[in-house]
Amino acid sequence: MKNIFRNPEKSIAAKLIIAIGLVMIIVTFLFWYAIRSKQKQDIMSIALKYGISFMDFAKRSTHSSMLNREREEIQQTLENLSTPVGVEKVTIFNHDGNIKYSSSVEDVGKSIDKTTLACLGCHPKPEESPALLSEPRQWNVYKNQEGFTALRIVSVIPNESSCYTARCHAHAKDQEILGFVEADLSLAILDEALLKQGLALSAYVILFVLAVSTFLGIIIYKIVSKPVQVLVNGMDKVAGGDLNHSVPIKSTDEMGVLAKTFNSMIHDLKAASDQREKWTQMLEKEIAKKTEEIQTTHNNLMQTEKLASLGRMAAGVAHEINNPLTGVVTFAHLLKKRFPADSTEAEDLNVIIEQSDRCSKIIKNLLTFARATPSDKGEVSIHDLLNRTVFMVKNQEKFHHIKFNMNLEDSHPVVYGDATQFQQIFLNMFINAVDAMNGRGNITVATRKVQEDSKNFIEIEFTDEGCGISEENMPKLFEPFFTTKPVGKGTGLGLSVSHGIVKHLGGHLKVKSTYGKGTSFFVRLPMSE
Amino acid sequence: MVKARVFLLDYRCLNELTMKKILVIDDEAIVRSSCERTLKPEGYDIKSVSSGKEGVELLEKESFSLVLLDLKMPDMDGVEVLNKIKATWPETKVVMITGYSTVDTAVQALRLGAFNFVEKPFTPDMLISAVKEVFGESDDNSEHITK
Repeated sequence: MKNIFRNPEKSIAAKLIIAIGLVMIIVTFLFWYAIRSKQKQDIMSIALKYGISFMDFAKRSTHSSMLNREREEIQQTLENLSTPVGVEKVTIFNHDGNIKYSSSVEDVGKSIDKTTLACLGCHPKPEESPALLSEPRQWNVYKNQEGFTALRIVSVIPNESSCYTARCHAHAKDQEILGFVEADLSLAILDEALLKQGLALSAYVILFVLAVSTFLGIIIYKIVSKPVQVLVNGMDKVAGGDLNHSVPIKSTDEMGVLAKTFNSMIHDLKAASDQREKWTQMLEKEIAKKTEEIQTTHNNLMQTEKLASLGRMAAGVAHEINNPLTGVVTFAHLLKKRFPADSTEAEDLNVIIEQSDRCSKIIKNLLTFARATPSDKGEVSIHDLLNRTVFMVKNQEKFHHIKFNMNLEDSHPVVYGDATQFQQIFLNMFINAVDAMNGRGNITVATRKVQEDSKNFIEIEFTDEGCGISEENMPKLFEPFFTTKPVGKGTGLGLSVSHGIVKHLGGHLKVKSTYGKGTSFFVRLPMSE
Repeated sequence: MVKARVFLLDYRCLNELTMKKILVIDDEAIVRSSCERTLKPEGYDIKSVSSGKEGVELLEKESFSLVLLDLKMPDMDGVEVLNKIKATWPETKVVMITGYSTVDTAVQALRLGAFNFVEKPFTPDMLISAVKEVFGESDDNSEHITK
């Protein structure tokens, strides 16, 4: 409520209260003024009635004394008449203004003031002419010496038969006016009553205005200001981004309708915002997915390109080296023939021949990597080949402490390709496994059929219990010449060659590894229909 | 002069009968000399040239029983030379010399009529056994060497 009047120009309620208050004050003041005027008027007319009746009473009281010229009696009566509260003075004077009797004895014999009602009531200019006013005034109101309102009434004592026929014959028959009775009546009591009434009325009016203003204020505050404030707060919250906010106005009036509309608008806004958020998220996800796809494709391309260029280079180098190597081998052989078989020279030449042979093998490996090997393609039974390869390696010294667990699935999957190449892959897997396990442990070979893009694949799993592959080495795993084996032990071509072969056949090679626990390679090859 | 010609003719006949003439076409001098040094002591008459073009020119002048032909050469490709030889001198046998990478092509060459192929790097024994096979000579060592 205090907030309303802190900045009245910013509050509808304050403006309404001030406007209604002002109108009420003006209207009630007008009413108050009208009532006061009416009260005064009524009281004055009552006072006048009583005054006139008092004048009659005074005239009647003195009537007989007048007829009998009992002057003392008249004086006494006037004095008696002025005793009640409110009667200040009663005077009788003749048409010439000479005071004959008065309740104030000291006034007897004096002339009346010619500027008072006694003269001016009938004669507008009593000193200049006896002209009469068309409507004579009998009374006037003035402030007496104590400052109270006083009523002065002047009443004509007309000539009548009893007057000019009376014993004393004091008045002629043709004399119209014998004299005047003048009474000064104090209205102090009425003044007091009026004042009290006025005060009471003012108090009532003020109370009324206050009560009505308060009541109106409360009503306006409840009906207008508070809901508006709630609405404004709600809008502030919504503007601040809180779309879950709803305005708690339940009334059925315009405010209620406004709040309801506002709430439904926020609801719609929230729905739209949620939708937008959802779209944005979807879009972001889609973009991330596409970016990843692009990245993967890019990486694959890079890898392929790298492998291809490396292959080309290797092939070129290998081919070039073959020529000088032919020379070395031929001439070593020719030279060897000149020495006896058990001579040192023959042995030395054997070293040259063996090492040349080694070079030749390295070149062959390189060329395999470049996929230039002649391939003898056909239907290959994967299980037979796996069993043969395992049987073959079991006899090698390297595999003497290795236990093979074969979990081959029941059917006999057949893959179209070169058996030698497949065997090369399997051998690679076994050699890597043995090296990772330092020659001791279990190698698990498992096969299973899987579906990928509605194509049938045979998945061959090679799991070892070796040292695993560290995270930093993972991305480099299929890179040619990448090896963790000691110098001279591995060429770093095994996995990249395997990868190349599998890819070439439309399959893929994946790896899962826990560092320190072991590695699983998964070779997927497309099955022959 | 006439005598001399007769002698010459005789010598040629003798040569053709006893000395098997072999032409080596290879752009690599070391391969050529390897062939020469390996086959000469075995009693073969060896000539060598460094390109297909020279080879064809020489073949037009002389006849050879066997051509050892490199598959990959700068000016005229081995397969091209092979085609030419098969078309012009059908009785001349051809053994292709090939690097490992071109074995596919060598197989193709066999289909085109080459007698055999030898992979580089070859040992003298491998070469001798391949040549002997051409001339239908059995060799004690040949079996274990070629296989």
